[in-house]
Amino acid sequence: MALVEIRNLSKSFSKGGEVIFPLKDVDLDIEQGDFVSLMGPSGTGKSTLLNLISGIDKPDQGTIVVDGVEVTKLSRGKLADWRAANLGYIFQTHNLIPVLTAYENVELPTLLLPLTSAERRRRVELALEAVGLSDRADHYPRQMSGGQEQRVGIARAIVAHPKVVVADEPTGSLDVKTSDQIQILLQRLNRELDITLVMVTHDSEVSQIASRQMVLDDGKILERDSNHSNGTSSSQHVQLTGGQ
Amino acid sequence: MFRLVSYVLKGIWRHRARTMLTVSGAAVAMFVFCFVGSVQEGLERLTSDEDAQRTLIVFQENRFCPTSSRLPEDYARRISEIPGVKDVMPVQVWTNNCRASLDIVVFNGAPPKQLQTARNLKLTSGSWSEFESRRDAAIVGRNVATRRNLKTGDQFSIGDLDVQVVGIFSSHVPAEENLIYTGLEFLQYTRGLDSAGLVTQHEVHLTGNADPDEIASSIDEALRAGPVATTTRRKGAFQTSTLSDLVDLIGFAHYLGYACVGLVLGLVATTTVMAVQDRIKEHAVLQTIGVRPARVFRIVIAESLILCLAGGFTGTLAALTILTWGGLAIGAEGVTIAFRPSIHLAMVGLLVSAVVGILAGIIPATQAARTPIVTALRQP
Ligand SMILES: Nc1ncnc2c1ncn2[C@@H]1O[C@H](COP(=O)(O)OP(=O)(O)O)[C@@H](O)[C@H]1O
Ligand SMILES: [Mg+2]
Repeated sequence: MALVEIRNLSKSFSKGGEVIFPLKDVDLDIEQGDFVSLMGPSGTGKSTLLNLISGIDKPDQGTIVVDGVEVTKLSRGKLADWRAANLGYIFQTHNLIPVLTAYENVELPTLLLPLTSAERRRRVELALEAVGLSDRADHYPRQMSGGQEQRVGIARAIVAHPKVVVADEPTGSLDVKTSDQIQILLQRLNRELDITLVMVTHDSEVSQIASRQMVLDDGKILERDSNHSNGTSSSQHVQLTGGQ
Repeated sequence: MFRLVSYVLKGIWRHRARTMLTVSGAAVAMFVFCFVGSVQEGLERLTSDEDAQRTLIVFQENRFCPTSSRLPEDYARRISEIPGVKDVMPVQVWTNNCRASLDIVVFNGAPPKQLQTARNLKLTSGSWSEFESRRDAAIVGRNVATRRNLKTGDQFSIGDLDVQVVGIFSSHVPAEENLIYTGLEFLQYTRGLDSAGLVTQHEVHLTGNADPDEIASSIDEALRAGPVATTTRRKGAFQTSTLSDLVDLIGFAHYLGYACVGLVLGLVATTTVMAVQDRIKEHAVLQTIGVRPARVFRIVIAESLILCLAGGFTGTLAALTILTWGGLAIGAEGVTIAFRPSIHLAMVGLLVSAVVGILAGIIPATQAARTPIVTALRQP
């Protein structure tokens, strides 16, 4: 059984009298440890799919089961609890809480879990270390660069040890160099910490870092023929650019 | 539950200017609220005290201002013969202002010995013996002393009166603390009053189980044949009827109190609505991280509650401080209402702030918790 099982998933929106179908009968399995990239032009429904996986939006029909839990059936309150324990969300614009320091931002999800304060501190420190920002713990978001903010956002998404981390255009608002650093970071998290990642991007170069590459087109998901050599070569490509 | 407290406090601190303005606005309104409440309490005390219920005041019929009531002093003897009457104290009243005033000075002249037993006065400084021995001696109520800045040993002059302060007293009846007592004769012989053998009123104390109203009518009945007809009422009724114009005004001030509560509600609700609208996206982010909608609701309620309590606490504290140290009173025709602080007032002030804080948060909190996460996140 796959970690994430998506079946017959459909979602429509009515926009000014016209109904659009960003997702039509989508089926998708994501395995534990996968790094999935989801590509497609802007407005095709990529974010919508991430939001459904995260349980912050409801589908018109279909089911999403994550590690045996049918997310699409949970109430709003239960979904929040489920997200706190099982889901990390990396936003395009980091969306850090401006009045909290980097440390406090990362700590936020752990406050929602039944952890001891020692365990909480340990996890926050590890997460900050994983994104290379231990020395910025006391800084406020406005005192950091865009790349640093995004890394805090990533630390916040992984601190609760979620089963799935979703990222919506995580490099979308960064310059090339910073974007490369974030790509390397995501790849390391996937490889070294075995974090299951679903990343949306409209940039085909960015999508190369993933081990499985998908395209969303006209409400359907197509997986690129991804034998493993392909995945390796693309990640090498990233490492090269990242090393410049 | 309390893990997000620091987030809440920092959120309030983030908009310091807005927070300060809202808190000061709420503070001013709660200040007025407590002040109005204190006047109301003062008025209620005038009638609800045991003293006010069980003591009768005999006044000249159809007279109001103390200067116009002139009863023979020896009515006291005749009143004391009526069954149920324990004790009669003749009182001469002098006031600097017969109309409603905030700076009223009222002198009561009474036989010093009787004063000691009839009214429950406690000297906080000075001595009774000096009060009895000196003709122009006066003991001053704590409130007047504060307001006029008087101490034992001071000379105090007002109008044609010239007295020596020989003591400051406190009383469990706050209105008493607005009075200055002198000997009866001293006041009777004051220039302008010219009332040797006459007094303003008689204060009648009753025996344990006597019916006040019954005795009041027997007094008026008994004195009908005398040179001056009388009207006898319970002290409470006498005081409220004397202050009837003020009583109406104070009753109206009730609405001022309600208006203040409404003001705080509007002010804090507006601020909270603004704070929430500023942060629709932030609340959506919190929910994405895993904060339950109900918790977001509570966070917003907590914010508005804190604003309101901060303002309410400041305003109530300021009002109580001024009431404690200001010695304020309002009065007319020789009767005064004391503005006193009270625990009850403090509790009401804080409770009202808390309730208003919660009410003010309900609409914005609902908005914060109900806005669909995705819609909020899609905002720029
Ligand atoms: N809450 C919504 N209400 C109406 N239309 C929406 C809503 N969310 C998304 N859409 C529309 O659905 C389509 C897919 O949106 P989205 O998933 O954000 O696309 P992508 O992330 O691929 O750019 C777009 O046309 C968008 O305008
Ligand atoms: Mg998108």
